[in-house]
Parts: sequence; structure tokens; C-alpha cells
Amino acid sequence: MAVDELQAIIQRCQILEEADFKGEDFNLFQVAGQKCLEAGYAPQLLEVIQNEKNKVIVKNMGWNLISPLVRCIFMYQHEDDKREHCLKILDQLAQLCNPKELFLSLLEQIEQTSGEQVCQTVMLLLQPLQTVLLKLQNKKAYSVGLSLAMIMNQLTPLPVPYTKQQIQEDKLGLCQCCNAVVDFAKPFVNEIVKNMEESSEYNDTELKEELLKFCMKSLKYPLLTAQLEQIEGIEEHPFRCFATEIIDILWDIRELIPLVFLHRKGKGPQWENQEFADIERKNSADSLACLSYLMFVQHFGIDCFPVVFSPSYLLQCNMTHIEVLLKRTEESMLSKGLDLFESCLLRMEDNGLLHQYLEFKDFINVPQDLVKIMTLCPIEHLRKKSLNVLQLFIDKFDTEGKYTLFRCLLKTSNHAGVEGYIIKNIKDQIHLSLTKACDNTWFTGHHLISLLDLVLLLPEGAETDLLQNSDRIMASLNLLRYLVIKDCESDNHTGVWTTLAKIEQNFLKPLHVGLNMSKAHYEAEIKNKKENRREAHSSNTVCSVTVSGEKVPAMTTEMQLQVLHSALFTFDLIESVLARVEELIELKIKGEMDDNS
Amino acid sequence: MTTDEATKSEGEVQAVALAERGEDITPAQDRGVLKIIKRPGSEDESPMIGDKVYVHYKGKLANGKKFDSSRDRNEPFVFSLGKGQVIKAWDIGVATMKKGEICYLLCKPEYAYGSAGSAPKIPSNATLFFEASNASELLLDFKGEDLFEDGGIIRRIKRKGEGYSNPNEGATVEIHLEGFCGGTRFDCKDVKFVVGEGEDHDIPIGIDKALEKMQRGEHCILYLGPRYGFGEAGKPKYGIQANAELVYEVTLKSFEKAKESWEMDTKEKLEQAAIVKEKGTMYFKEGKYLQAVIQYGKIVSWLEMEYGLSEKESKASDSFLLAAFLNLAMCYLKLREYAKAVECCDKALGLDQDNEKGLYRRGEARLLMNEFELAKCDFQKVLEVNPQNKAAKSQISVCQKKTKEHNERDRRIYANMFTKFAERDAKEAASKTGVEKAAEKAACEKSLKTPGAK
Repeated sequence: MAVDELQAIIQRCQILEEADFKGEDFNLFQVAGQKCLEAGYAPQLLEVIQNEKNKVIVKNMGWNLISPLVRCIFMYQHEDDKREHCLKILDQLAQLCNPKELFLSLLEQIEQTSGEQVCQTVMLLLQPLQTVLLKLQNKKAYSVGLSLAMIMNQLTPLPVPYTKQQIQEDKLGLCQCCNAVVDFAKPFVNEIVKNMEESSEYNDTELKEELLKFCMKSLKYPLLTAQLEQIEGIEEHPFRCFATEIIDILWDIRELIPLVFLHRKGKGPQWENQEFADIERKNSADSLACLSYLMFVQHFGIDCFPVVFSPSYLLQCNMTHIEVLLKRTEESMLSKGLDLFESCLLRMEDNGLLHQYLEFKDFINVPQDLVKIMTLCPIEHLRKKSLNVLQLFIDKFDTEGKYTLFRCLLKTSNHAGVEGYIIKNIKDQIHLSLTKACDNTWFTGHHLISLLDLVLLLPEGAETDLLQNSDRIMASLNLLRYLVIKDCESDNHTGVWTTLAKIEQNFLKPLHVGLNMSKAHYEAEIKNKKENRREAHSSNTVCSVTVSGEKVPAMTTEMQLQVLHSALFTFDLIESVLARVEELIELKIKGEMDDNS
Repeated sequence: MTTDEATKSEGEVQAVALAERGEDITPAQDRGVLKIIKRPGSEDESPMIGDKVYVHYKGKLANGKKFDSSRDRNEPFVFSLGKGQVIKAWDIGVATMKKGEICYLLCKPEYAYGSAGSAPKIPSNATLFFEASNASELLLDFKGEDLFEDGGIIRRIKRKGEGYSNPNEGATVEIHLEGFCGGTRFDCKDVKFVVGEGEDHDIPIGIDKALEKMQRGEHCILYLGPRYGFGEAGKPKYGIQANAELVYEVTLKSFEKAKESWEMDTKEKLEQAAIVKEKGTMYFKEGKYLQAVIQYGKIVSWLEMEYGLSEKESKASDSFLLAAFLNLAMCYLKLREYAKAVECCDKALGLDQDNEKGLYRRGEARLLMNEFELAKCDFQKVLEVNPQNKAAKSQISVCQKKTKEHNERDRRIYANMFTKFAERDAKEAASKTGVEKAAEKAACEKSLKTPGAK
């Protein structure tokens, strides 16, 4: 039946001129064709299409069949002969139809697909789409750009496989699809290359712009989100392959080098609307950060990069990218940011970074971002890495740079653990200044005293929460102990003896008071708990705590007691170091007096 | 012998020659960078610090292995001389080159990538060998440095300053300056002032801006466009006309930096805010809007992101911020930067949504941006807050008038267009074919493009 219907309309149209086809002919053709496909008469339909006599009809009306055809292809299993026939029809249509209508029809299919079918549909239609685009006469660059933008837009909502297992499984086919899209783009890249070789004055930049947009988009998605380290057991890491291809395209169209180190020059389209300009800048900031990561960490395309830049300048250029990445919260981006920062720092000599670089805003901002990661990020390996990178950053600065950085971090970190860590670093620097004949103006004398003013104090006097601040307090006491042992009152290299009265006033005295108060408080609390335990076993919890949706079981009285005891232990520890420090101070002062008398 | 071996031994020969006969061009005379001139330059001019230099080069390791060549990239390598952008050997070496010169450089690791190397190509402690040609022959000149990428201030450095540290906004500087206009010197003095407040000493804003890019001891020539000079007002005191181009020679003798925001505590920020607010208002009254923007901008940079304030501090901070945003909006209106004015009003209204001045100024800015409807809304809101505001009332009628004018103009334009469309439709109806559907689709192309193309 369906075939007869098709034959009827075909016969009617065979005798008509191209210009005489009517709207209803188009409809009849489409309906009949669709029925054929649905009834499983694909071979017959193929025959009709291949028939030389029907050439004009297929050329004009064939595009109408794309939509039912795609639907059918997805209905059949992979090995089904009928599917093979349908694929042949698709191939024939790509060869025979009017490129303009067919192009729009194919694009429409890609636009309408969604969810799990996206990659399959895209991969199915890439080949015919390429064939058609290569045949297009007008607006080719525009159409290529439109296709690539549409495809990338459809892919973007898909989750990017991250773990080894996910990549191997490639459930939605994204890995495969990305690489297929690159193959799709290649003939157009070659076209640009050929044109540029033929004339150095090649000014038809439209196609180039479109491919550049595609590369920028790919850098942001999927590459920025993807895991790009080499993975053991996967020889051809699909995203590493994809990244290599994207960088090759950028190199081939001669945009790679300008992107990496000329981007500051405000190149690119000028938008009248400020909002568009902002979006553009933000998008390209992500893409450029990913590009830098690929070049400097993964060494993709580094062969093309000039090897005369100074390491400090490279760090300075990359700092913007590092800041972009470290401001994010996703693991993939944070780890890229940390890797990029690390690789830039490893290019430098210790103590080689001039303190003046701290004049650049991002040099002050980025270490603060590191602190945020190491204190707030839920992923342990990133917290650790962040701390390592911060230490590396500190190591690279000259002494004045270290000094300024310490000041800044003490003032901004708001975290006792970090402050304790910085104070330990200060101690190490003082040690170097006292033992080595290097530049020691910054960690001795009046500069040091002004730094010690920030360290040797209790943030809120005697009322400071000693438990919360124990890391900081212990580090400060250790530093003070070191100073008192290492530096004699008669030498007073560090200046600590001059400022001793102030230290006692701001630090030691309130610490004594605080310790007494805290200990009394916790001891009372323990006594209380013990009595309560005897009185009532019925535990009516005052409040409950939930962590990421899960209720944390209420603490038993035993656990509470344990916590309270460990707090007391901390106070004891602080007290004993405090006692030792005061003892040392007294001894030294007495010793000096004895020497003098 | 293969070609590879040939180049290798050639490289070795050159390296040996350099080590034997090369001239030591390091200031420390430690033989860290040795140079032999292969072909002398065509002119006797060497580039100045900060100039954009164009160089073609080939770099090899001691074993003769090529690690980099600008020829592979088909374009000369471009960088700013003497700014630490390139390895030390290059900043030293290229500064000695003349236009069109070709030379060999042998660089010890201390003047290249040192013990760290540069992954993946340069190993640790590598001595590098370069053949460099100063490609400026391709161009007319070394280019002076365009400080803000807008051609408004061009700098050429006569003597480089020390380090990388620059005065920031609010820093106290001591400078010597000489000002020229049309070849005549109109100003020559030693002066100490605060960056951003040069106007107090009859110094144009361009000098303030340029100082932020100068280093201690630097001596440079600055070419100022009118926007960075005395602008439309000119400077009658010096007999300078409107929109004059100026040339200054400036030496930055010393400076003391202003405290960075992170170094100040809240109390200090609030105290300073009161002071700069006064200063800003003074500039504003004198019509020196660019200078006023700098002062009010300080308040924003200090207080906008400040957190952890007590209730009292927070109240004080908000009132400073509100005043700063409102005044900034006024300045931007005067400077005809309407988008920025709107932005400031938005921020002011974020702090106080019924602020009469904020609404009024946003209305003014929008009116000047031809956003009549939005402007009208703002003025109407002003009247809701204060029904007595006569200015707002008259502005509303201005808006209405402008809208009407605008609509009429549109109507005239569209009227033409519609007649044309009607004619075309008639033609098309006559020759309607089945391809109609495809044509419609082609028209949809535009709508397809929107989702991702831009």
C-alpha cells in the first residue's frame, strides 16, 4: 500500500518541471515516504531514490524524509538489515538533495534531540552534515559555525565522564562523539590552512572565527571539566586526544600563540552591549585558563611556544588563569588550578621571585584563595595540595616578599591552623636570618618586631577561645621559646628583648588568665556531666546535628566526657610550654644580670 | 654526515667561538652572557627600555639540539624590553642590539633558566645558545609603550627605575617634571604630592596615571593626549588651549606607598573614608571630575567588601558607601559615562532602595542613554518618595516628549519598510510554489542561530 502511494506521487511528479512542484506534492511525498519507512519498505524507498529518473524529485523533496528516517534508524537494532538500508538512504540523500534545505533539515534534527540520544544523533548526522556543508556555495562559514555551535550546545548539558571507569564505559557516548566532531571540523580547518598558504594576505577570516569559537567552546566544555591526566590502562585517553586535536586546530589556524600571550590586548569582537562583553570575557576566561593548563601542565602544543620568557613573567601571565580556576568549587577545576600554579612555581628558583610582584592584585588574592581551599574544601587531596602549593609559593619569594605575604596571610586567613602554619614559617625564616649570612633585614630588628606584634598576642585577649586557637597559640609559644633560647638579651638581634614587656602584656598575661578560666570552666563541666550521668540516663537531646542530610547520632555522655578531657589536655599542654617559656625568660634575664654584676 | 650532524657541529663551532672570542656584555662582567656580532645593524639606534622589540631567533642547547625558533612560527617574537618578561640574557643582549643587527649569544644558566630549567625543553643548569636578528627592519621604528592601550599616554623610558614597585593611588611621590606644549616649556618644578591629587599642583591626570606605572628613579618622556592632559578646559595659567597635546619629562625621585586595603583595619578605613570624601567633594565642586572619581573610588575599594563589622561600624560604612556611589554617579554623569553612572546608582539603590538622589540620577543617566521608559519609571519613583520634587516632574514630561519624538521617527522608518514588504509579498504570492516551506525554514535560520552561535 505505502509503496503504491509513493509510486503514484512519484509518477505524477516525474512529468513536472522543477518549478511546477506544488506544496501538496511535498506533503504527499513526505507522507508516502514516511509510511514506506514505517511499514519496513526501506529497500523499495532506496530504489526509488536511486532511480535516475527521480533525480529532480529527490533533489527538491528528499530533505522531507530526514526526520522520519532518523526516527526509524533509532528503532532498529544495530545489526538489522533494515537499519543498513536506512543508513544507505541517508547517505544517498546527502549526495542528492539540495544542500540548503537538507542542511536546515539535518540541523533541525540535531536541535530537536535531547538527553541520552544526543550523542547518537550527532554521530549519525555528522557525516551527511559534512557532505552537505562542503557542497554549500553561499554562507558556508556561517553554516559551519552554526552547525558547530548547535552541536556543542546540545552536548554541553551532558555530564562529562571523570573516573577511569566512566571514561571506559562512556555511557552516553560523549567521548566518542567529541572526537567525531573534530573529524567533522577537519576539512574546514584544512581549507583555511590551504588558503593561508596560498596567500599571506588571506583575509577571509569568517571561517577562521567560527572555528576559533568552536575551539574556545570545547576548551570550556568538555575539557575544563574533564580529567586530563594520563590514566593507567587507557592508552588512548579520549579527552587527551580531543585536547590535542583542539590545540592542533588552533595552531593550524595560527591562533594558538596570540591566544596564549596576547589575550591581554583587548582583542576580539567589540560588543556594544556591556552585558555581552562581560559574558564573552567570562567565557573566554574559562577557556583560556584551560588552554594554559593544557600547555603548561600537560605540555600540549608547548613545542610551538617561545622558550625565552622568564619564569616570573610566565607566572605573572598565568596568575589570572590560576585565580579563575581557584575561585571555583568543582574538583576538576580546582585541581587544574593547583596543578597550573605548581607547574609555574616549579620553573622558578627558590627566593627568586621579587617582592614587587605582590603589587599585582592576583599575587595577593591567589594565596588567599589557597587558604580558602585548604580550610573549606571538602576534598582532602586538594586541601593537602593547596597547602603544599602555598609553601612552594612562599619559598619562591625573596625575604621581603615572604615578609609581606606572611603579614597578609596573618591578617586575612581567619583560621587558627593556617595562622599556626604561617607562624612556623616565620620561625624558620628567623632561623635562616640568624644562622646564615643572607639578607636578614626583614626577619630581625624592627621589621621583625612589627611582625611579632601580629603574632604574639591573643586575638580577643583573655576571652579568646583557647581551644579553637590552640594551633596558633602553640606555634606562637614555640616561636617565642625559640627566640628566647637563640637570641641573648645582650645581642638582641631579633629585638625580642626590647619588646618583652609588650609581649607579656598582650600575650603571656592574658594567656594565663584565659587558661585559668578555661580550665575552671571545663572542670566544672566535667563534674556536672558526671553528676548528671548518675542522676538520669534518659538522654533527651537538646538539638540534633545533620551533616549533608544525614543525622549525626547524638553524643553519648561518655563521648562528651572524652571531648572535655581532651580539651583539658590541650590546656595542660599550652600551660606547660608557657611555663617553660617564662622560666627561660627569667633564667636569661637573671643570667645576664649575673654576668653584669 | 647527515644534516642533523652538520647543524650540530656548526652549533658547536659557534658556541666554541663565542666562548673564546665573545664579548662579555653583563653589567657584572661575570661572562654570563657572551656576544658576537654576525652582521652589524643598519642604523645606530638601540631600543629603549619599555620599547616593543621584534626579534627573530633560533635557540639551541649545548648539545646542538634546537629547542625553539621564531621562524617555525612564521612571525618575529615580540616583547617589551627590560621588563623582566624574558630571560635575563635577553633583556641584556637585545638592549645592545641595533636595528637590523644579527648576533650570537651564549647564555649561562644563571642568565637563563637556572637550576629549575623549563619543562619540558630546557634541562636543569643548561647553557643556551641563540642566534638573534633584530627584526625591527620589518618596521619603521621601535614602538614607545602605550600605557593604557588607548594611545592616550605613550611612554619612552630614558633611564630605568629600580625594581618593579610602583606608586599606587594615594602614594606620596617626589618628582621632577618639565612640561612642554608645542615645543615651548610651560612648567618646570620639583614637587611632592599624593598620586591622584596632582591637580592641586596644576599637574594633569595623565601624570598621576603614568606614575602608577613608574619605578623609583625612573626618568621618562610622556606623550599625553588631551583626555589625559588638561582636556577641554585647557590651562589658562600656562596659556594652554583646549584639547592640547602635552609632552612631559618626568623623574620619579622617590615615593612612599599608600597602605593596601588589606593592611588597614576597619577603624582606619572609616577614618580615611571621611577624609577622602571631603577631598572628593572639593574636586567635584571645582569641576575636576576625574580626580573626584579617584577619591570616591577609594571609599568603595576599602569598604565595599569589608565584612565582620559591628553594628555601629556597619552603619557608618553603609552611609559612606551610599554617599560614594551617589557622588560617583554624579561624576560619571558629568563625564558622560552614563552606563557607569547607572551602575553606581544601582549600587546606591542596593543600599537604600528609595534613595531620592539615586533614583533621580539613574533617571537622568537613562534619559541620556535614550532609555526613555526606564528613565520615566525612575522619575516616577522619585515622586513616590517625594511628591514635592519639581525637577522630577518636569523630567517626566521630557521623557514623554522624547518617547513621542522617537516613536514618530520609528513610524516613519517602518512605514517605508512596510510598504516594501507589502509589495514583495504580493510578488511572492503570485509565484507561490511548493518550495515555500523550505523558504520559511530558511527564514527560521536566524532563530536557530541564536542558541549557541554567539
